[in-house]
Amino acid sequence: MESEKSPAEFFAENKNIAGFDNPGKCLYTTVRELVENALDSAESISELPVVEITIEEIVKSKFNSMIGLVDRERVDAELYDDFETAKAREKRLAKEARAQELQAKNAALGKKVKESAAPKGVKGRGEASFFRVTCKDNGRGMPHDDIPNMFGRVLSGTKYGLKQTRGKFGLGAKMALIWSKMSTGLPIEISSSMKSQNYVSFCRLDIDIHRNIPHIHLHEKRDNKDRWHGAEIQVVIEGNWTTYRVYSIIAFPIILLEFSLLFKHSKILHYMRQMAVITPYAQFLFKFVSDSPDKNVTIKFARRTDVMPPVPVETKHHPSSVDILLIKRLIAETSKTNLMQFLQHEFVNIGKSLAERLIGEMGPDFSPKMAVKSLTDQQIVRIHQLFRQAKFDDPSGDCLSPAGEYNLRLGIIKELHPDMVATYSGSAQVFEGHPFIVEAGVSLGGKDVKHGLNIFRFANRIPLLFEQGGDVVTRTALKRINWNTYKINQTQDKIGVFVSIVSTKIPFKGTGKEYIGDDISEIATAVKAAIKQCCIQLKSKIVKKMQAREQQERKRNLSKYIPDAANAVYDVLKEMAKSHASKKKRFAEKDVDILQKVANQLITKETLKEKLTEHVEKVDYEMALEYATQSGVSEEPREDIYLQSLDATSNFLDFHSTTFIFRLVQ
Amino acid sequence: MADKKKRRRTDSDSDSQPFKHLLKSDEQILQMLKSFSSSFASSSTSKPLTLADLSLASTCREVSDLPLSSVQSNIESLVLQLAHQILSGQGFSFTVPSRASTNQLYVPELDRIVLKDKSTIRPFSHISSVRKTTITTKILSLIHQLSLKNIHVTKRDLFYTDVKLFQDQMQSDAVLDDVSCMLGCTRSSLNVIAAEKGVVVGRLIFSDNGDMIDCTKMGMGGKAIPPNIDRVGDMQSDALFILLVEKDAAYIRLAEDRFYNRFPCIIVTAKGQPDVATRLFLKKMKIELKLPVLALVDSDPYGLKILSVYGCGSKNMSYDSANLTTPDIKWLGIRPSDLDKYKIPEQCRLPMTEQDIKTGKDLLEEDFVKKNPAWVEELNLMVKTKQKAEIQALSSFGFQYLSEVYLPLKLQQQDWI
Repeated sequence: MESEKSPAEFFAENKNIAGFDNPGKCLYTTVRELVENALDSAESISELPVVEITIEEIVKSKFNSMIGLVDRERVDAELYDDFETAKAREKRLAKEARAQELQAKNAALGKKVKESAAPKGVKGRGEASFFRVTCKDNGRGMPHDDIPNMFGRVLSGTKYGLKQTRGKFGLGAKMALIWSKMSTGLPIEISSSMKSQNYVSFCRLDIDIHRNIPHIHLHEKRDNKDRWHGAEIQVVIEGNWTTYRVYSIIAFPIILLEFSLLFKHSKILHYMRQMAVITPYAQFLFKFVSDSPDKNVTIKFARRTDVMPPVPVETKHHPSSVDILLIKRLIAETSKTNLMQFLQHEFVNIGKSLAERLIGEMGPDFSPKMAVKSLTDQQIVRIHQLFRQAKFDDPSGDCLSPAGEYNLRLGIIKELHPDMVATYSGSAQVFEGHPFIVEAGVSLGGKDVKHGLNIFRFANRIPLLFEQGGDVVTRTALKRINWNTYKINQTQDKIGVFVSIVSTKIPFKGTGKEYIGDDISEIATAVKAAIKQCCIQLKSKIVKKMQAREQQERKRNLSKYIPDAANAVYDVLKEMAKSHASKKKRFAEKDVDILQKVANQLITKETLKEKLTEHVEKVDYEMALEYATQSGVSEEPREDIYLQSLDATSNFLDFHSTTFIFRLVQ
Repeated sequence: MADKKKRRRTDSDSDSQPFKHLLKSDEQILQMLKSFSSSFASSSTSKPLTLADLSLASTCREVSDLPLSSVQSNIESLVLQLAHQILSGQGFSFTVPSRASTNQLYVPELDRIVLKDKSTIRPFSHISSVRKTTITTKILSLIHQLSLKNIHVTKRDLFYTDVKLFQDQMQSDAVLDDVSCMLGCTRSSLNVIAAEKGVVVGRLIFSDNGDMIDCTKMGMGGKAIPPNIDRVGDMQSDALFILLVEKDAAYIRLAEDRFYNRFPCIIVTAKGQPDVATRLFLKKMKIELKLPVLALVDSDPYGLKILSVYGCGSKNMSYDSANLTTPDIKWLGIRPSDLDKYKIPEQCRLPMTEQDIKTGKDLLEEDFVKKNPAWVEELNLMVKTKQKAEIQALSSFGFQYLSEVYLPLKLQQQDWI
């Protein structure tokens, strides 16, 4: 007998569609879900976000003791998958010996040898790694009694209204809980407190996947001595940190270079860095803790601004964006009784007169006063068809909350330290009834940016890290921007391309919702236009810089060609002098003079070189003078900077003067 | 004879070759071609117009073949000028005729592109021109050496004399054309030749450096067109027309089938964009043998572009268009209208890319296309249907369809424009 599947079961079985493909990606997705929840929570109460993420590596023995399992030594070695047979061992030893021999040979020859890769530790299938992920924020927190259901029950179906949201699946921490249940069986721990609550809610629970209900271990109120508000979520999952490497193009912040190679390519760190770019008003503290101290990492992504984008507001559906199913649901949920009111109140951009015209167009069996709940299936299809074909005003972008040009710019400067940066914010545009805004930034140079294009993609203010090949931003930057036009060298320069798209519905492609398709011409056009605008800004800066450099290098560049030119001229003169001497040819009076001097070594290559050098110096001097008078003293435009506020506890000493106070922080 | 028998046999199973039934006997076609060819020969005796005839000589620039001694003395007087300038401490500069597209003019009376008289100054002491000026000086000195020793070198040889300075061959090649313009002589007069590219096969006998060549006895590949035209002479032929083929593949087909024995003709190809030697050779054949030229190119904008290079010249070498162009080339095929006329199946047609369509539209603006209303019509059809096809599309009816049905039928119907 087949029983109906609960939503939790569905996601447990299809965890890949929520970004839980393999242990490495599970850890990554868990972190991002928690971080994005934390940001949403803080922003919803207009609090500048402070987010702390800790990933603690748990070795197998420790994990076993956590779940009360006794570590057992292997007795029957041959039972295991990674058992090395005598033959395999012989083969491996022979290979290692050969490698050693080669190395010795090279060393003897004085060749510089690459450090040969250390033999990989044999790792069997069962050798899983476990991590405790903790995320703490200063957000809204959760009402004490709602906590179990917020984590332990997976609801299907989308929300009623329409809103720009960070989350891609609306599952958040629930999916992490399902994964922890599947991989470790350990419960999730939640601490939460809301503003002006004098207690902290603590809850330890796991989920009954089959029945889709929370299974509460502990739910209690504790003291809130620090008047803290926010949430702290802790979950233990199987994951993979070391081998989860990226083949991506994004370079790394300088601070990380000091850490061991191990961390150099972690996707999670890329994510944190890009999040810091797009959310410069948040402060992130990232910690990785393990048993071996050399692997430990602590990074603080500091706040650079206190300007926060507004919270996105919920909006009603645009008539050209709805499908039949959605119309049916809106009808079921509406509080309005007749068709006229329904059209006016449940959709944007339908006014009274338009609603009347629409109903008139629907046909004779429709009337403004008819009960909306009595509409037949056929009638609903008719409404849908009309919605598709009729002309409506575009939805406004007011409900969107873009990162903002200022914040994007700050984020880029803060994390990349580029030589030049330009940003642009487009106006709201529409795709299938959903408004979207494209913002872009293009940077040149910077620390730890690789040569060529470095692409940073953001959708609804979260970074996209996977499947960048097919993405509209990648393809536009690679194929549709002629970088040469803007004096940018696509392969040599360190180009950072940042594109942030916000919308009430991001048209993601792929199961993991990791990229935006290239087939939507509205978005492709807007992306191209935004990047182009940045390039145009950069071009004038680059041209100025090139002119300045040309000034400096003119003399050298001209002088470089003097020998070639002088030699070529002299070679011809010498041949002519020869034929003149042998009376093969006759020349004019003034030319004869030169040819004779050449024949008598009075004019040599050196003479020509000297004369040319003199001329070049003269020209250089004149042009430098001209440049100086034309360009004058130029100033770079000033940029606002954000000074981090000092902790109130700091000790300082004031020096008072009549016009100012000078404060010395101790 | 064995060859002929074979052909007869393939004739019998002609169901898969549409339009074959329309073909008249070879004798009838030949008769018709002969009358066309002789009427052409009598009509083309008039002397070609020159710039001077149109009183454009002062506003347009044209080069001529110069003897080596004049090239040498031109270079010498130029270098002496440079020496004077340098010694007086003024640096030096060249005055180079501009070969930019704004300085080109299509003269309908001549049916070719000519160069207008605008020049640019190329001073040594300017950062944007110092490189080109130095390269120009170097090339001048190299040509001077060639003229002293009276030898020929290839463009590649020239480039390899100073790879460090020239960086890539495009640069030395471009400056070589500038030098031709400056000295007022053709590129062949500079004793610099391009590597052999074009080939010719068919009813043609000519002397190459004194050796008599019979192009019917050159095997399948034909005779490579000599890079310097001045060693070619004594052309004789009993051909009725010259068949200009865009691509190697079609050329090989026609050569192997010995198409020129069925319909006496000379088959030429430059394997794509024509080089100077092939263009000179075609021109020489046309003038000396007084034969009509029929072109077989792909049905795409580039096919027409190649046709136009043979016909009216390229912008890059417009300064020598008088010597390089062969006027009155007939567009035989494959024309856009042939796609439907010959029922070329859909799977052999290709959709035009955006770039193709743009090139097609640009061509429609060109004067040399506009002057021929039939061409405009064909090109309009191409841009409208957004379809292109290569000569090889005909192979869908059998590899020999081109030589056995398509071309004979075209000739029979005198279907050229």
